[in-house]
Amino acid sequence: MKIRQITDNKKLYMDLLLLADPQENMIDAYLDQGEMFLLEENGEAKTVAVVMLYKNRKCELKNIATVETQQGKGYGKYMIHFLCEHYSSLCDMMYVGTGNTRKNIGFYEKCGFENSHIVIDYFVKNYREPIYDEGVRLTDMIYLKKRLESEVDVKKVVDLALEAGRILLKNGAEIFRVEETITRICHRFHVEHIDVFMLSHGIFVSAENGMEETYTKVKPIPLSASHLGIVAEVNALSREIEAGHMGIDEASEKLKEIDKMPSKNGYFQIVAAGIASGTFGYMLGATESESMMAFFIGCILYVWVLFSKKHGLSKMLVNIAGGVIITTLAICFRHLAHMEELRIDGMIIGGIMPLVPGLAFVNAIRDIADSDFLSGTVRMIDAILVFVYIAIGVGVTLSIYNNMIGGLLP
Amino acid sequence: MIRELIVNVLCSFSGTIAYSVLYNVPKKYYVCCGMTGAAGWLVYKALVQGISPAIASFFGTLVVVLISRMLTVRMKCPITIFLVSGIFPLVPGAGVYYTAYYLVTNQLSLAAMKGIESVKIAFAIVFGIVCIVSIPREVFQMGYWKQRRWRKG
Repeated sequence: MKIRQITDNKKLYMDLLLLADPQENMIDAYLDQGEMFLLEENGEAKTVAVVMLYKNRKCELKNIATVETQQGKGYGKYMIHFLCEHYSSLCDMMYVGTGNTRKNIGFYEKCGFENSHIVIDYFVKNYREPIYDEGVRLTDMIYLKKRLESEVDVKKVVDLALEAGRILLKNGAEIFRVEETITRICHRFHVEHIDVFMLSHGIFVSAENGMEETYTKVKPIPLSASHLGIVAEVNALSREIEAGHMGIDEASEKLKEIDKMPSKNGYFQIVAAGIASGTFGYMLGATESESMMAFFIGCILYVWVLFSKKHGLSKMLVNIAGGVIITTLAICFRHLAHMEELRIDGMIIGGIMPLVPGLAFVNAIRDIADSDFLSGTVRMIDAILVFVYIAIGVGVTLSIYNNMIGGLLP
Repeated sequence: MIRELIVNVLCSFSGTIAYSVLYNVPKKYYVCCGMTGAAGWLVYKALVQGISPAIASFFGTLVVVLISRMLTVRMKCPITIFLVSGIFPLVPGAGVYYTAYYLVTNQLSLAAMKGIESVKIAFAIVFGIVCIVSIPREVFQMGYWKQRRWRKG
């Protein structure tokens, strides 16, 4: 059994249509505007139906007819089931008008329709010849209606979109990307009326379902470590969703998986931090031997960073202690290695590199460039405070060294 | 001279990659990130000898954002990945650090000098990003140029 939409040569099926509606000019009145569907089995036409779309998310089943010899085999019912699903995203209510006979009304009631209203003398006024069905002359048109359950639940869609947004924002995506992703996912699942308001640490989404019910959700998102790999994955997922390759449930499963994506291996990160320290130190004017020392400082520093991440220490503590560690190591290297040509300053500037909040800084700048000053300022302050913390750590250690120990050491 | 050039390229390339590792950028983007960072840093380094650091940063940013946008379209992934790693060498991290450091150690005039310079660089970067981001997306897709040539012909 296969159902397809007929877009041209609709008159080809006039014989079938006439079964349900005996006067040809009445059929012509809706045939062009209406959408026509044909149910075929083994290449043979079995049932045909025409649906008119109205404004206000309503539609009317104008005509449904099954080949006379094939009636009572469930083709009509299958067709109506298909139509209800097909139009559920576009309409809330489907109407159908029929003559007052037990057989017809019984059929529609079985398909889930209920009484709506009656148009008196419809068949007498609009049809030239009297119509008889089951031996009774038809006069009034009985309208039945069926509420189309939207296939998609607005709540579910918004929850999915918000979860995607939360993961993106948490892992360091820009404000506009998060907004775009949320809107994209909602539109894909036919939630058209949606408003998103975003801050650097919170998302507010409100969606309407077309029946004047509004669903609003707020999600606070603390500033935390970033993972650009996850941003890339969620972005790819949202493309998949938009292309229609993925349903809601599948997508939220995938999202959960992505959220759990681990960071890079710890040793790898430590070496990377060392390399960042060494190379950037050199680029900022340190000598080669100072860069070498900065490499070791960066490695040791990152061990502390990883440790603090594991135990969830506060940012302030991490960075102040980071500054202290860097400076202490630099002083130690200078004196223990007896290399007076090593400048403490050169080693420190390389050493702080793994702590520099590059992502927060770049995102702050990008938000400001997008005229999103609120988020931009918050992120900028977050970034600048990190520098202040580091400077406090370095400053305190250096002044202790200069004032107290400095004189004692050779 | 040539030795300095090579060392700078190597340092900025590997430094940018190291930084992208810290931000968990997927492996397949490492080389692109490194190239973006190296290109931006080279432009900055070449210009900074003649003009002020802010203007040099501006041109460096232009190059970084331009390359990032081209890579984004090619590799179909968020621009943040290339932008964050690529711009990092240009970000006035050291400048802001020195500002905070001089403030903490009560050397206010030095702090003001470093601070204003860092702010200037930050604004130069903002301006550089805005310039490139304002270019419509189609320009970066191959189809656009092919179509144009076809239309001209």
